[in-house]
Amino acid sequence: MQTDSPYTRRPTSFGPLRGSAADAVRSLVASARLAWAIEGNWAEPFYLAVYLVIRPLAFLGLFLAVLSIGGSLNPASIGFVVVGQAVFQIVGAALQGPTHALLDDRERYRTIRYIFATPSSLLPVSVGRALVKAAIAGISAAIVIGVGAILGMPLRSGGIDLILLTVVMLLGLLSIVGIGIALGAVCVQLRNDAWGYPQAVAGSVFLLCGAIFPLDTLPAPLQALGAALPITWWIEGVRRAILGTTSPGLLGTLATGELLLALLVGTLVILAVTPRLFKLGIDRARDKGYLDRNTAS
Amino acid sequence: MSSIHARIPADLAATIRKETNWSLSHRLRHGAQSVLARAYPRVFGMIREPSWLFFDLVFPILGMCSFVFLLRSRGVDDAWVSATILASALLTFWTSVIWMMAGQFRWERDSGNLTLYITAPVGLGPITLGMAVGGALGMAFRAVVIITAGTVAFGATYEIREPALLALTLLLGVAAMYALGACLAAFFLISGREADHLGDLLNEPMQLLGGVFAPIRSLGLVGMVAIGVLPLAPAADALRQIAIPQLAVSGLLPVNIELLILVVMVVVFSIGSRYALRYIERVGRAGGKLLTRAD
Repeated sequence: MQTDSPYTRRPTSFGPLRGSAADAVRSLVASARLAWAIEGNWAEPFYLAVYLVIRPLAFLGLFLAVLSIGGSLNPASIGFVVVGQAVFQIVGAALQGPTHALLDDRERYRTIRYIFATPSSLLPVSVGRALVKAAIAGISAAIVIGVGAILGMPLRSGGIDLILLTVVMLLGLLSIVGIGIALGAVCVQLRNDAWGYPQAVAGSVFLLCGAIFPLDTLPAPLQALGAALPITWWIEGVRRAILGTTSPGLLGTLATGELLLALLVGTLVILAVTPRLFKLGIDRARDKGYLDRNTAS
Repeated sequence: MSSIHARIPADLAATIRKETNWSLSHRLRHGAQSVLARAYPRVFGMIREPSWLFFDLVFPILGMCSFVFLLRSRGVDDAWVSATILASALLTFWTSVIWMMAGQFRWERDSGNLTLYITAPVGLGPITLGMAVGGALGMAFRAVVIITAGTVAFGATYEIREPALLALTLLLGVAAMYALGACLAAFFLISGREADHLGDLLNEPMQLLGGVFAPIRSLGLVGMVAIGVLPLAPAADALRQIAIPQLAVSGLLPVNIELLILVVMVVVFSIGSRYALRYIERVGRAGGKLLTRAD
């Protein structure tokens, strides 16, 4: 029965993971350039810059305004919210990036069938699109952190721990792009509201990962769920690198080495599983004709 | 135009004039039917497509939970938790205004439906009004669900001493928001890919300027300007004062002044949207770009 499956009959050279490593790099670079054109040329550079500044700062202002209801803001609270909100800019973009790229190519630009017909592999194409979205969000994150510093956010004594920051950013980015890719492979199967699922996942993760409030504010079952997310460890790692302080509650009890190990193991698991899930999802979508579908959503 | 008319035989031109020269009552009846026809799918669509309802509810509820937990982490008075839930309900209308009013014609154009609207024997005005009426009714159901969920999950309480005043404020606030959405629909229609980003800019930044989750008083002069131009601001401030009396001291202006501001907004934005849509339709037809996809 297994040998008759269409998945096993397909030649190994055809599918979303085909080609050599050099081909993959070429596809990734080309898709990143395309993504930059899509994300960056919809407005004059000045307006683009204004957009990249206004939205994240409005987000930050919103949280700080709510935070100030409880009395005067202390620098530690500002730092906690600023770092969490800054990192989550990247999380949101990388989580939604691959799905939006796949759906944009399928329904808006109607090019996915042509990409699939070229020797390019769809995985590096999706990764390239997601990385550019994350990089643009990274600019917003840097702006948020800069404004936080102006507002009196306390930085780590002795300066930012650049080594820790680099390691957690790299691991965090890999893990979140991996999750985004898996999500994209799932969403391309959906008929209705495929665009909405990554946003719903990002919203749920925002609630659970302690981005703007300590995890121990959540009910106990949700705390455990939040503490198991690599994104939570990523944000905590960035807080330690920039602020030099630990979060209150469960996360604060972890040593930085343990935190890094957890993030590393989580990232490796995600990277091991994601390409298989992506291949499975895209192969199924191709077999069912979903790559040609237009849901008008 | 005259050359086209010149080619129409006189008897056919007379027939066209006769059949399109409707009486006022005929035009009103036709307009009302158009409004109802456009409102219908917005109200009953959620029954036929439950996933829309799910997403319309899940995003505001997730956002509401984030703000409530943020308030709880600071040990803030529970009255503000009630205010946050109320604000989340109000935001369902605003989100609908951005994407289902302002962005709707652009979406209809890209998906091909705008051609049908333009060729149908009805102006964009009744269609826009139908979108607003249907959108507001559909969102009212979602707002009730959000307030119920927030009340059950977080124990929010409200002390409504003047239900009629609350209903009037909500009605005027929603009307002003949708009238602004109709104005923005014209602007979105002439936008290209920047429309999506424009929609984003109308979201969180307007929540901040509108004092939706925190008192607008704390914004100082910016808050005073916002309350004069952004319907969210007077609506949120007035609703908070009416439904949660212990927060009345956080209000920027007395409720009756804010109601007056909302009335002015309804009138100004309604007139503005009428002219804006007519202008865009005329210019778009003349330039042949009204139905051109942005991307």
